Amino acid sequence: MIARLSATLLAAMLLFTAAPARADPPPPVAAASDLKFALEEAAAQFEHDTGKAVKLVFGSSGNFARQIEQGAPFELLLSADEGYVLALAGKGLMRDQGVLYAIGRIALFAPHGSPLDPAAGLDALRGVLARGQLTRFAIANPEHAPYGRAAVEALRHAGLWDAVQPRLVLGENATQAAQYAASGSTEGGIVPYSLALSTNFRDRGRYALLPAEWHAPLRQRMALTRGAGPTARAFYDWLQQPAARAIFARHGFELPEAGAR
Amino acid sequence: MAEGLSVRLRQRAPIPLEVALEVAPGELLALVGPSGSGKSSVLRAIAGLLRPREGRIACAGETWLDAGAGLSLPPQRRRVGFVFQHYALFPHMSALDNVAAALGHWPQAGRAARAREWLARVHLAGLEERKPVRLSGGQQQRVAVARALAGEPRALLLDEPFSAVDQVTRRKLYRELAELRRTLPIPQILVTHDLDEAALLADRIAVLHHGRTLQTGPPAELLARPASPLVARLLDQRNLFEGTVLGHEPERTWIAWAGRRLEARPAPGFAPGARVAWLIPEAQVRLLRRDPPGGRRPRDNVVTGTVVEMLALGGRVQVTLAPDGRAEAPPIAFSVAAHIIGREGIAPGAELRLSLLAAGLHLMPPEPA
Amino acid sequence: MDWQALRLSIALASWTLAALLPLGLLLARLLAYRRFRGQGWVEALLALPLVLPPTVIGFYLLEGFGAASGFGRAWEALFGHRLVFTFEGLVLASILVNVPFAVQPMQRAFEAIPREVREAAACCGMGRWRIVTRIELPLAWPGILTALVLVFAHTLGEFGVVLMVGGSIPGETRTIAIAIYDRVQAFDDAAAGRMSALLLAISLVTIAASYALTRRLGRRDG
Repeated sequence: MIARLSATLLAAMLLFTAAPARADPPPPVAAASDLKFALEEAAAQFEHDTGKAVKLVFGSSGNFARQIEQGAPFELLLSADEGYVLALAGKGLMRDQGVLYAIGRIALFAPHGSPLDPAAGLDALRGVLARGQLTRFAIANPEHAPYGRAAVEALRHAGLWDAVQPRLVLGENATQAAQYAASGSTEGGIVPYSLALSTNFRDRGRYALLPAEWHAPLRQRMALTRGAGPTARAFYDWLQQPAARAIFARHGFELPEAGAR
Repeated sequence: MAEGLSVRLRQRAPIPLEVALEVAPGELLALVGPSGSGKSSVLRAIAGLLRPREGRIACAGETWLDAGAGLSLPPQRRRVGFVFQHYALFPHMSALDNVAAALGHWPQAGRAARAREWLARVHLAGLEERKPVRLSGGQQQRVAVARALAGEPRALLLDEPFSAVDQVTRRKLYRELAELRRTLPIPQILVTHDLDEAALLADRIAVLHHGRTLQTGPPAELLARPASPLVARLLDQRNLFEGTVLGHEPERTWIAWAGRRLEARPAPGFAPGARVAWLIPEAQVRLLRRDPPGGRRPRDNVVTGTVVEMLALGGRVQVTLAPDGRAEAPPIAFSVAAHIIGREGIAPGAELRLSLLAAGLHLMPPEPA
Repeated sequence: MDWQALRLSIALASWTLAALLPLGLLLARLLAYRRFRGQGWVEALLALPLVLPPTVIGFYLLEGFGAASGFGRAWEALFGHRLVFTFEGLVLASILVNVPFAVQPMQRAFEAIPREVREAAACCGMGRWRIVTRIELPLAWPGILTALVLVFAHTLGEFGVVLMVGGSIPGETRTIAIAIYDRVQAFDDAAAGRMSALLLAISLVTIAASYALTRRLGRRDG
């Protein structure tokens, strides 16, 4: 990631030295934290293709929605939960209801040394529970994190909710849940598939994708805010092109049909 | 001196100390010296609040410190009464509780009554319930003295106990201390930088300089016969000069000074021709009247000169006289009662005749150049 | 209103106090009255939580308490369960984070007692323990009280470290501050508002009461 980040920085620096009098500073883009790795790659590619840069800020979709409501100067919001975007659009704070750009998937993750074997899916969880080997299991807080809600739905679907619930450790967001799951202080957790695939995570344990039909789809929607400038608009359009969709797909996201509203 | 207090201290750092003191039961020794001379450190070492590198302290037949043997009793077991410079009263306790705090050896039930007795002895009856902040400086000092004595200490240590009160109170406290002392059968050490205070209260004075006890003796002896010019200066003696020994007679020694021949107390230890320091205490300088009643009597060491400075201090006037003759003769200081000034016509520029009494003229080894 | 979270926070604050009162007194007295090699470093180390962001402390605690660390493993072997994501872990984290809030006011209070006053007590024949109880503690009491109130209020309000090491487990690690955050995240402004107001009131009353008490104590000595 550092290499990629420095590449981005280097590119940004080159750009600045090449065009010192640029009138259009990189617009701030708010993005859900499950996009961390996918969107950094996408932004670098965008900059490479168009020579324009954006400033990525990752965090909780709910926090961003709240900040935009309070007038935060984001020009584009990529939410992990379309509900926030639709609510903001309903209040007239966005240009329109935006578009679906990806559908999130969840994965079962177990750190090295854990008795849990993700390859067997949630059945493995059942076995570990039966043997009394599960002390802690991490998911994102379902009260406000979409990935946490999806994890709860998947656990309910597998009939494991009542057994797992007392063992849960709740991450403040999907990334923290993944961090807890990988820390070795839990036997594992349900994390965004996009994070499980990332280089930083892959090495810390084993993971397996959970079936999409076990939970309501994590429909990720993006929309431009009222104040969006030309660069943000160009990025928004670019993210709907095949090149960008390929990046999302490679990072473990399902793709909505092109142009889906 | 098994019953008294015997102190030997020696160390180089952090504060250099080289101290030898003996204090007899009932005796008050004043430890004087300029600030930074280590006076308080000596007291603290005696109390057990500071542990010197080398030394021996014994009191009332008991060894308190024997650094060589690794013995050092804690303050609690030395049982000294310590009056601190700023009294160090316990601010959250009443005067009574402050005194009672030192009565740990007394049965619980009798402590309050005993503390009350002590406060009465230092004239504080009626103020038992006052917190220290509600007491005047003098009253605080009395509480501190009562607290120090209530523990029935084996030695009393007073660290500049009068420095924080006004002069009127100070005089009163001097009298009270002198009164208390009459029935106090333990060794007492008073640290002070006030020489008058030391001379007034102490049986003996020890002069401390850079942590060393230079000389110990009764106040009058120390003033009349300091062991060295340094001691004389530390005791605020101003008439300190240098001369050369001319020769000895059985009853006197002759010295040369500023072209004069002076008669001194016999000091056969100095070889003729040797350089000596000499001192004439102010009390041994006589002003010779212009027209003495009766016949002229021969006078010791008559010096004529011109008044260069006069300074009135209370009922006395400090006069500085520049001796006649060669210019290099340093001025001589003396003091006279204020009423003499007019009678003798003393004024700046006036000519006077002084007599330096031979019995008071004291010879010492000169200071190393 | 999440009463469970409030009860948990108060329990956390009480345990932290119970641990830091003796520990703080010991450390504060040591630092105030003893001089030893490396004292500056020790004091700097104890003050670190004041300046370090909770993220740094949280990160080290996560690493240090976790199953991968020797301490974490030793704890698990000793007590049969892990330290992270437990109330005990939170108490331990809270103690560490609160050390400067306990030690510094206590240390200043001990330092403010003139050396001569303690020496006078020794010359009065009081033993070391008696000097502590009769002289030092009564004189340092306002500072000790300040320390306790700071620790209590600060623990109630501690957020960052708990967010990082707690895991928001109801009844175990979801403190009132975390519960408020979760309600805000869930756009439940009404509940967040109620809990925030309650926490504010408790903190205000605690601190005001301590100020009033300190003033009373001050007058008592006057």
